[in-house]
Amino acid sequence: MNKRATGAAVFLVLGASAVGGMLLQPSAPPQERRIKMTARQYAFDPPVLRVNKGDTVRLRVTSLDVIHGLYMEAFDFNALIIPDSPYLELSHPSRPDEPAEKVEEIVFVADKTGKFRYRCSHTCGSMHPFMQGELVVAPNRLLGGGVGGLVGLLLAAAFTALRRDRGIP
Amino acid sequence: MSGPPPSGRTDLLRAVPGLKWLLTRRWFQFAVVLPNLAFFYFFLIAGVFGSPVGNRNIIIIFVWILWWFLLIAVMVPFTSRMWCAVCPIPFFGEWYQRRALVSARVGKPGVGRNRMRGLKKRWPKALSNIWFQNIGFLLLCTFSVALLTRPIVSACVLGGLILVATVLHVIYRQRAFCSYVCPISGFLSLYSMTSMIEVRSNDRETCDSCTDKGCLAGGESGWGCPWNVYPSKLDRNNYCGLCMECLKTCAHDNMTIRARPFCSDTLLKGYDEAWKAFIMISLALVYSVTLLGPWGTVKDWANPTESGMWGGFGLYAGSLWVVALLVVPGVFYAASRLGRRLAGATEAPMKEIFLGFSGVLVPLGLMAWIAFSIPLIFVNGSYILNVVSDPMGRGWDLLGTARFPWTPFYPEFVSYIQIPLLFIGLYYALRTGHRFARDRFGGGPAAVRACAPVAILSTAVACGFLWLFVG
Repeated sequence: MNKRATGAAVFLVLGASAVGGMLLQPSAPPQERRIKMTARQYAFDPPVLRVNKGDTVRLRVTSLDVIHGLYMEAFDFNALIIPDSPYLELSHPSRPDEPAEKVEEIVFVADKTGKFRYRCSHTCGSMHPFMQGELVVAPNRLLGGGVGGLVGLLLAAAFTALRRDRGIP
Repeated sequence: MSGPPPSGRTDLLRAVPGLKWLLTRRWFQFAVVLPNLAFFYFFLIAGVFGSPVGNRNIIIIFVWILWWFLLIAVMVPFTSRMWCAVCPIPFFGEWYQRRALVSARVGKPGVGRNRMRGLKKRWPKALSNIWFQNIGFLLLCTFSVALLTRPIVSACVLGGLILVATVLHVIYRQRAFCSYVCPISGFLSLYSMTSMIEVRSNDRETCDSCTDKGCLAGGESGWGCPWNVYPSKLDRNNYCGLCMECLKTCAHDNMTIRARPFCSDTLLKGYDEAWKAFIMISLALVYSVTLLGPWGTVKDWANPTESGMWGGFGLYAGSLWVVALLVVPGVFYAASRLGRRLAGATEAPMKEIFLGFSGVLVPLGLMAWIAFSIPLIFVNGSYILNVVSDPMGRGWDLLGTARFPWTPFYPEFVSYIQIPLLFIGLYYALRTGHRFARDRFGGGPAAVRACAPVAILSTAVACGFLWLFVG
């Protein structure tokens, strides 16, 4: 086996591990999920939301102390959460000129997979920049592919080291 | 005078027109430090007199978001310890010692041939290591939430470092503070091993036959190495502060600055350095949980002045110290020992094997830190626009950007940068481990068996970070 063939073999191991890791993730039929969330300095509860791709998420959020925000990565919404108010002020970062609308719940379809953070978007205290939660939309192929790729890298390194030390180019 | 640079290296003084001229000007370092010093003092003033809200105060945003990101993700991997050359913290101490801002002075009383002021004591030999820096950094990081979010705490710590540096410059010769005490210097020394530049001599024989030793003793053209290293013997970046004095003082024009491949230095030479690697990777892990994680209870524990959870803080701080100083080194020691056994070399000294394999944590740790730092700048970078217009958080709007809304910069794509960084870190970790095993145990399956436990452990660590970032 020459250098090119070794390279191809290494690439194959890496690629196969990554793709295998991605495909191992199960997928489930979509459903509607109603979630009640609270916000307080400096955490959301629940801290992690786990849903499946295609799920419709209906999110009701209340604040237990001061005004907070809820900015959801990749899903284009940002809500202001006012203590003792049943309403949220919902806006969309992609449409900055539109006025915020008052809603009782945020409704969105989890049409992207992976891990996304929801963050407080309204300065709420000293640790405000670190107030965040996680939305994990299954199947999380990035995690599976990443783990597969890292393990593949380990195997490929062992394979290459053994071949090189035997004097095979 | 000098031959071609070693394979894989490029002599930057030859390749970049004007660079040699610039770096050998006596005013160059001062010209860079001066604006840095002005900014630094302004940040301290803002920290003391400005808004107590972290994201409305320039000291927090510029130091812990912008500077930190540039330091760990740009300066260290690409320009080694360049920060040390322009750092304002030792400015007053060094000025006191030298009684000069630009020129070099000769004569007695002095250090080497340079005339210097102060008690000029030698730093105690027993403390000539980076243990002070290890413990100091761990201590600062134990209170990191206060440091990273409260302007007054940042101002007191940074101001305190200036004070300590100045006092130590008065007592001890040269940059003892930077070499042995500064908590930032410790991790810069570790991760500068990966850096893509190095200061080295062109020709060792020229140095060996040199009787002037200007690089060490100094002279009219410059100061003897302030870091008290012998520049001609440099074989790692760890303790070179890139001050460029040796370029100015070498009588044979034999010192140069070279570009080199990433992660060219791989060998840790003492337990202090190895523990620095353990502490740094543990801190990257703990910070990723505390600051980037979703768990409110952990944040409350790390933030006891606000939450009042002092018991939780004790648990948090105790866990941090136990993990960094005992658990991670213990697991790593076990993996190294298993590797030695698998290689069939049970007579090999464990210290050598342990230190040799510890080098894998240098590229892996650096990449984990960069991956941790990426979301800080991507998510909170827009605060920079606010504080340049209103640095004290007093309602000013100097540049019209004070009310620019908080706008994360494509936060959903952060994972696609973090994952490749972990791959790069693991690749270089595996390469470092295998190279050491090959050198120590010879080639073939013995080397692969020797480094297998450490390689599997490194992969597990990378997978752990991956889970925290995208899982």
